[in-house]
Amino acid sequence: MAHFDTEYQRLEASYSDSPPGEENLLMHVPEGAKSQWHHIENLDLFFQRVYNLHQKNGFTCMLLGEIFELVQLLFVVGFTVFLANCVDYDILFANKFVNHTDSSKVTLPDAFLPVNVCSARIQGNAFVIFVLMISGVFWLHRLIKFIYNVCCYWEIRSFYINALKMTMSELPYATWQEVQARIVEIQKEHQICIHKKELTELDIYHRILRFKNYMVAMVNKSLLPVRFRLPVLGESVFYTRGLKYNFELIFFWGPGSLFENEWSLKPEYKRGGNRLELADRLASRILWIGIANLLLCPVILVWQILYAFFSYTEVIKREPGSLGARCWSLYGRCYLRHFNELDHELMSRLSKGYKAASKYMNCFLSPLLTVVAKNVAFFAGSLLAVLIALTIYDEDVLAVEHVLSSITLLGVCITVCRSFIPDKHMVFCPEQLLRVILAHIHYMPDHWQGNAHRYETRDQFSQLFQYKAVFILEELLSPVVTPIILIFCLRRKSLEIIDFFRNFTVEVVGVGDTCSFAQMDIRQHGHPAWMSEGKTEASIYQQAEDGKTELSLMHFAITNPQWQPPQETTHFISQLKERVHREATGVPTDTHPLSLSESEPRSLIANLLAGPSTLASVHFGRDSSLTNHAAAGISDGASALRSLSPISSSLHLRGSLSAAHRTAGHTSTMSKAMAGSGTDARTVSSGSSAWEGQLTSLVLSEYASTEMSIHALYMHELHKQQSRGELSRHTWHRQESDESSDSVPDEVRSQPNPHSRNFPRSHTFPAAVPSPSAIPTSASATSTTTMGQEGASSHNSSERRYSGPTTDSFGAGGKVVRSARVPMGGWAEEGQTAPRHHEPLPEESLEDEMPPHIHKIT
Amino acid sequence: MNCRSEVLEVTVEARQVEEAMLALLHTILLHRSTGKFHYKKEGTYSIGTVGTLDIDCDFIDFTFVRVSSEELDRVIRKAVSEFKDALNNSGSDGMGQISLEFYQKKKSRWPFSDECIPWEVWSIKVNVVNLANEQERQICREKVGEKLGEKVINVVEVINRHEYLPKMPTQSEVDNVFDTSLKDVQPYLYKITYQITDSLGTSVSTTMRRLIKDTLAL
Repeated sequence: MAHFDTEYQRLEASYSDSPPGEENLLMHVPEGAKSQWHHIENLDLFFQRVYNLHQKNGFTCMLLGEIFELVQLLFVVGFTVFLANCVDYDILFANKFVNHTDSSKVTLPDAFLPVNVCSARIQGNAFVIFVLMISGVFWLHRLIKFIYNVCCYWEIRSFYINALKMTMSELPYATWQEVQARIVEIQKEHQICIHKKELTELDIYHRILRFKNYMVAMVNKSLLPVRFRLPVLGESVFYTRGLKYNFELIFFWGPGSLFENEWSLKPEYKRGGNRLELADRLASRILWIGIANLLLCPVILVWQILYAFFSYTEVIKREPGSLGARCWSLYGRCYLRHFNELDHELMSRLSKGYKAASKYMNCFLSPLLTVVAKNVAFFAGSLLAVLIALTIYDEDVLAVEHVLSSITLLGVCITVCRSFIPDKHMVFCPEQLLRVILAHIHYMPDHWQGNAHRYETRDQFSQLFQYKAVFILEELLSPVVTPIILIFCLRRKSLEIIDFFRNFTVEVVGVGDTCSFAQMDIRQHGHPAWMSEGKTEASIYQQAEDGKTELSLMHFAITNPQWQPPQETTHFISQLKERVHREATGVPTDTHPLSLSESEPRSLIANLLAGPSTLASVHFGRDSSLTNHAAAGISDGASALRSLSPISSSLHLRGSLSAAHRTAGHTSTMSKAMAGSGTDARTVSSGSSAWEGQLTSLVLSEYASTEMSIHALYMHELHKQQSRGELSRHTWHRQESDESSDSVPDEVRSQPNPHSRNFPRSHTFPAAVPSPSAIPTSASATSTTTMGQEGASSHNSSERRYSGPTTDSFGAGGKVVRSARVPMGGWAEEGQTAPRHHEPLPEESLEDEMPPHIHKIT
Repeated sequence: MNCRSEVLEVTVEARQVEEAMLALLHTILLHRSTGKFHYKKEGTYSIGTVGTLDIDCDFIDFTFVRVSSEELDRVIRKAVSEFKDALNNSGSDGMGQISLEFYQKKKSRWPFSDECIPWEVWSIKVNVVNLANEQERQICREKVGEKLGEKVINVVEVINRHEYLPKMPTQSEVDNVFDTSLKDVQPYLYKITYQITDSLGTSVSTTMRRLIKDTLAL
């Protein structure tokens, strides 16, 4: 055999790795379950608890609060029973004399009945026993709930400490956004959710708000029977906690509800096949629950009183404004809530609007009542003055029977009367107040604008913002009214409800079944009258009313800057942001779709920011604390004062806007973001550098609310102008429609670019701006022009993108179902005709200001 | 639910039910089993070997591979034959579902019992058909074989994805992840349940439990 000499040789070392005796075994190192936080079974509940613990400021606070509530409940019930049964009032009122040997003084223990008499009285009274039993059950329920909660939240506490690395003491000072960012971070390491490698903010929101989103959507689509036309009261809204509880019981978690568990709808409800049968079943279930409600009515009533008492104290704790005479109604909270808006976000928004809202409601004091109240107050006041004067002269007057009580009563009477007498220095400016309110509440029916001074508007607004007394009265009436609503109103809607859940439920991987509105997809649920013209493919049934999809989307994107929305959505957001931003920086932009409304020649944003001493801007500075926020977050009190003047307020707002904008966009540090934005950067960055570290997220969230307010106002303004345009369109395009046919493509492309409609404004704009607001524009001329140019260059591309879909929609317009309500194609046709009217005007006038993109686009 | 779920659907003749179920369940378990762990002192472990076995079906043209563990086979056979009997006795249209659920245990503190948290559920929906003559049976025999082949490939594809699996446990925690009761093989903790026809609604006990839980929730 020949010996082959090759270069291939056996590797010597490779077999010597294993220890002797175990050659064939591979050794592994167990990873172990280092954390117990991977793969959590019920993520919905888990995230809800994480959120709750954050909202309750940590474990200790929650624990203490709950213990005190339990003690309070015991005390209230015990004390009431004691007062009712164990006190001899005759002795207290001195109708009966006590025989004391040593002194004539009556002591408090004298008035107490002996124990055996007392218990006999209690046992003899069936009603007291009944109340005691119910409150006993109530208390036991709370106690068990408390113990259960302590066990659950202890786990969440250790999650905060071990996994999120946050101690309980720092929790009250961390924003939810921070907590959320850590959860997202944690997921990569621990895999809380096993479906995905990474969680998004939207996933967390979806899980926490799964059912609330459904409720918001149902209220939005007017599916729930909460509005009624009553014979005497007119149109009214009845939506109480009891009703809400019943709705949730029926839809989400009660026995035989539509949902199988927290995260999935039962499969049979997803199929359209047997919808009639399912509707029947739902109807009979509603009937049974209604009857059960009716039977349990007295028990619920007592329960309600106890519950109202306790949650009322809780509400006061949570909501600073709730001590006033009014509160946001439950319906209002549902109506005003964005999709995917957490409780604290909604609350802070509504609380900010509270002052303006109550001011608005106070504008509508009835003059008749005022006259009566003034006179009653006069007579009561004179009586009171005499009594007080007499008392001062000789205090024995007080000892006369009923003098002290009549003084008190008269005082109360005057206070009540005074609330009906308007403030002498109050100015009646409902339209502006309503706008300030809108900046915070973000939603409002179309017909309110321009009708703010009407009593109907006030009445409708009072449905959202009701008297606290009415709120409590409704709550107390609720046990009686709820079964009636369930049996007679909700039952009739069972088929619609089944259809709603089938049509608007989507299964999201890693989240489960959620309401499809909550996806905030412009394409599926956008409303063409709310800036998603051409992007939405929704039928009328699918459109969210009041621009809810669009506004929710903006809100979510602004509050969660890290969130990465899908492609088209990003376009929508960035485009809108850019438009608002440009408006805000005061560049005479092309985004303003005006020229149709003569009454308001300039845009709202321009009004607000550069506003020539309009009340609106002053109100803004004072009431809504919009500017205050911007200023207080950044610079000191001096500039906060200064910010009330129109000029600096506009500067500040502009600075804050761009700051928030940039930090949000690029998540870069503040100062870095500031460097780019011209003159106003100076004031902002000087203040911010010191605070930067701790405050970034806080400041950011405050900016976010400011920014959102501006966006909401802007969108409403745009919507208003758009809908006005629709009215006046009909006459226009009849004349011109025939000749526009030849040049359709060009004209249509120019349509989405609304500058075609604002040409007249560019004429009037400089003239209409009085001197104060002209100053900032010229002062920051350098920055403005550079901004304008970058705006223009980026604007071009975005405008192109925008024009694409619109052309499509014009082409396909005839087919879309939505044409039933919105006269379809009108928008596009208007686009064709509008520029024709103004064509001669703009070319020269705008040429020098912004020549580049006008030419490109038209 | 924080758990993957896969659904397989098969249409078989009554006498094929048992074999078809065994084939699918064993295929899944083959991929979800490891050798026994032998822990060493330094917190490391080595994994024992797992033998495999080819099984030929009598009523289907099909051969599948299973772990060669008689104990495991016995457990599965028992579950499957229970399912088959229930299906035969139900007298309804012959629909049924058998599900194989992999879970891990989590220790909880005293008032609560240990939680079993599923991380993967395989539901096999079975549709039983009646065939008229021998020729159809012959065709069915081949067709079911092909279908099962597809399903097996399907299963392997799913298992090949890099998705969540419980982390390898330390010695003290091995019982929370793996079923260590068998001598020769160590599958992930699993549970086999079955259900005859799509019974509507959840059972009373689960509803009550949820009702109580929800009233307790904050």
